[in-house]
Amino acid sequence: MGDKADVWQGTLALMVLTTLETMGPLHGYGIARRIEQTSGNLLSLNYGTLYPALLKLEQEGAITSEWGVSDTNRKAKFYKLTRAGRRQLERETQDWEQTTAILARFLSPAEEA
Amino acid sequence: MRNLRALWFRLSGMRSGRTETEFSAELESHLQMHIEDGVRAGLSRDEARRQALIKLGGMEQTKIAHRERRGLPWLEKTWQDICFGLRMLLKNPGFTVVAILTLALGIGANTAIFSVVKAVLLAPLPYKDSSRIVAVWTANPARGGQPLPSTAADFAVWKEKSGVFEDLAPSYDDERTLTGQGAPRLLIGYAVSANYLRILGVGPQIGRLYTDQEDRPGGPKVVLLSDHLWRTTFDSDRNVVGRPITLDGSPYIVLGVMPRGFNYPASVEIWTPAAMAPAAFDDFNHTYVRILGRLKPGVTLVAAQKRVNALEAQVAVVHPDTDSGNRVVLVPLREQLDGDIRRPLLILMGAAGLVLLIACANTAGLALARDAERQREIAVRLALGATRLRLLRQFMTESVLLAAMGGAAGILFALAGTHSLLALFPNDVANLNIPKVTAIPVDQGVLCFALFITLLTALLFGIAPVLKAARTEASGVTKESARGTVTTRRANRSRNVMVVSEIVLSLILLTAAGLVVTSLQHVLNADLGFQPNGVLALQIFLPPDRYPRDDQQKRRAFVAEVVRKMDALPEVKEAAATNYLPLSGFWGTTSFLLRGQAQPKPGEATEADNRAITPGYLRTMGVRLLSGREFTAADRLGGAQVAMINQTMAKQYFKGRDPIGEEINLSAADKPDWWQIVGVTGDVKAFGQDQPAHADIYRPLDQQPSPIIAFTLRTETDPAVMVKVAEETVWSVDPDLAVFQAIPMASLAAQSLALRRASSVLISGFAVLALVLACIGIYGVTAYGVTQRTQEIGLRIALGAQRAHVLRMVLGLSFRLTLVGLVIGMAGALASTRLLTSLLFEVTAMNPGIFLAAAALLMLVAILASYLPARRATLVDPMQALRTD
Repeated sequence: MGDKADVWQGTLALMVLTTLETMGPLHGYGIARRIEQTSGNLLSLNYGTLYPALLKLEQEGAITSEWGVSDTNRKAKFYKLTRAGRRQLERETQDWEQTTAILARFLSPAEEA
Repeated sequence: MRNLRALWFRLSGMRSGRTETEFSAELESHLQMHIEDGVRAGLSRDEARRQALIKLGGMEQTKIAHRERRGLPWLEKTWQDICFGLRMLLKNPGFTVVAILTLALGIGANTAIFSVVKAVLLAPLPYKDSSRIVAVWTANPARGGQPLPSTAADFAVWKEKSGVFEDLAPSYDDERTLTGQGAPRLLIGYAVSANYLRILGVGPQIGRLYTDQEDRPGGPKVVLLSDHLWRTTFDSDRNVVGRPITLDGSPYIVLGVMPRGFNYPASVEIWTPAAMAPAAFDDFNHTYVRILGRLKPGVTLVAAQKRVNALEAQVAVVHPDTDSGNRVVLVPLREQLDGDIRRPLLILMGAAGLVLLIACANTAGLALARDAERQREIAVRLALGATRLRLLRQFMTESVLLAAMGGAAGILFALAGTHSLLALFPNDVANLNIPKVTAIPVDQGVLCFALFITLLTALLFGIAPVLKAARTEASGVTKESARGTVTTRRANRSRNVMVVSEIVLSLILLTAAGLVVTSLQHVLNADLGFQPNGVLALQIFLPPDRYPRDDQQKRRAFVAEVVRKMDALPEVKEAAATNYLPLSGFWGTTSFLLRGQAQPKPGEATEADNRAITPGYLRTMGVRLLSGREFTAADRLGGAQVAMINQTMAKQYFKGRDPIGEEINLSAADKPDWWQIVGVTGDVKAFGQDQPAHADIYRPLDQQPSPIIAFTLRTETDPAVMVKVAEETVWSVDPDLAVFQAIPMASLAAQSLALRRASSVLISGFAVLALVLACIGIYGVTAYGVTQRTQEIGLRIALGAQRAHVLRMVLGLSFRLTLVGLVIGMAGALASTRLLTSLLFEVTAMNPGIFLAAAALLMLVAILASYLPARRATLVDPMQALRTD
């Protein structure tokens, strides 16, 4: 537990969007599990925190939800990426890549100072 | 966009219970899936459930996090506060109604007055960078010290050498008679140089301005029309530009029409080129130039004033006979436009502000009294774990609610009231400089102001109860309320402070109102020196093209013929004429020398108002003849030069001697022009009832014809219905002559007092309001005090206290509080009534009678207001009292 990173504020939304893009419509539990798996179990995610994030995305129009039936034949609420959500994902991915690129420059020894 | 959308969902998510159950179902399914996975991994069902819950972070916690994201928690809490606040207000309808009314009156009064202040004093001026534009006047103590026009030569010196003006432009009065457009009309006109309009920075709405080349002697005859003239007389015809109109009998090409709202100088209808010849700027004698200037950037008014006056002092050394004693006065354009209305408006705003403060104190006092009953509620809530912050919010919300309702009602009051405030701006007033105001809009700015003072009010009256609630101790009050007998000193003190401050503020307002109303009374009782009732006046300016200066005979003949014809009208008792009509705003002076008096030093010449009248004038106007004789038909051109003087002049210059038979020289010592005094008249207050009479010299109009004529008719009927007949009589003699103004003298007299009357009414209205509010406040606080002390009083009575003693005890407290308030209020009133000086007349700002009367009235009101509760205290039944609670 101790060496698992907590999810950074704000990055959870991006993870949710990526997950929905690769996996297609998925319910909350599925999203949570998938995020953990994708991180190679390095992330410790409190599943409960996922739901406010999902609600926020839905309020912003990035995802929609509807009730459906899971693989195990259980009634569950499925979340789906909207077109606005795809655009948001694209934008935030770019932003994120830029940020990490910049940070990488700072963290790696400078060659052209 | 994204945020807006989210906000909308959260707002709409606030009240939906459906999503709550839906989320429960979603969580439930989440949990089940997790448990199933756990079971599949080999855990027992209970262990799987336990782990799933741990991983989730708790069912309720998740629900709360979800709920908080779903709605807007702070908004929900506010909504709760509002609902609770409304319930509390409904529970106390008496308090609520009184508080709302009180606040509504305070806020309404302020909003209404502010709407006037905004419309008049704060409205943006439609001129380029108007803060740098100044009107420049010359004041000279020998000519009464008021700002007057300057000479063209002075203008030229200031413009060239002062170095403080970016530009300086001359103008002068230029009334013209317009003919060929219905009845002839006298138009107030200004001859202004081309750069004058550039200083104002205003372009025409159609057509163009004249150029510097056109503004020269012998230049083209061109004219600019005001928007008002264009609309009313030329039916907004755009084709009027380029066409000639007839002014004083000559064609003038209309160059353009000025935009609506351009009215500087006020009520001017036409602007023509000043066309001043270079030689005119050597003239140090004639004071007729009205100057407008634009200060250089960075030059302050004070600095400019200093510089120009230093320069003028140098000019006075070279031209002592014309310029010594001159002081140059720079008036910012804004002040120039506001004129005499500025001070009264600011005073009214101050008075309205005091009313609002009283309203706040009143509401705070009542709220404190009411809240004391809620101590237990507060204590219970604190004990149950409510945070102090939450309680403060609750109290503040209640205050804001009250204020908001008061504010809404206040705005309604203001909407209903602004119309009547137009009385501050009488139309035809001539002896005051008052801007023309035809509408007082309650616009966005005014509403913002109302909102602002509403919030301010909430803060002012809400802070005391809030602070008190904040000090409440959970344990203390629950203990105290167990028996609820003793009120803490602190609780009483804050209520007492409210009562005292109400008394203080009310006393200030009452004394102010007393002073202003007494002044009005004095003014109304002041003798005008003539009988305005039943007199119709017609003012006429003889145009110089047809009544030239060198053809005095023509002026004489015209006046004589009109007076003769008017005299013959059956409804007219007697007709007469004069040059300057009293209260008309027009006047002129002449310097004079008594026999044996040496030629005075420059700037020290004795002057008197120059009045020319026909023989019947004193009778038609009802001016008293004190001694000697009136003019007769024999006092005409060719006869002996005779004059009458008024009482002021007789007193001032003939101390104790009989002036009859004495002679005065109306020219210089070396070339005398002697006039013999044949009569002394009573004083006429030609500048308004509240202005001192000047020294007057009357001469026969026939011996001193004037281009400015006012006919005065004493009529048998209502003078107002005689206007048409009188005008037609004038036109029967000269059909092209414009009648500038035909108005009953009584209306002129009434209008000259309109501003004073309206401000008196408003200030006394505020004072009455203050008195009523103070009365309610004192009553409320005393009544509450009695209720709270019921047990104590019951105990006293049970122990043998006399009823009279109880009465004295309750009244005594009010009496002491009032006394403290009166003492502080006296100091406040003494300090503030000095601001009223401009509204006072024959009353000093520290009139002891008015101060004492106001204090006595307040004391009486305070005693009355506390008498009812005090009497109730004496009726306390000891048995009942001891049993309460």
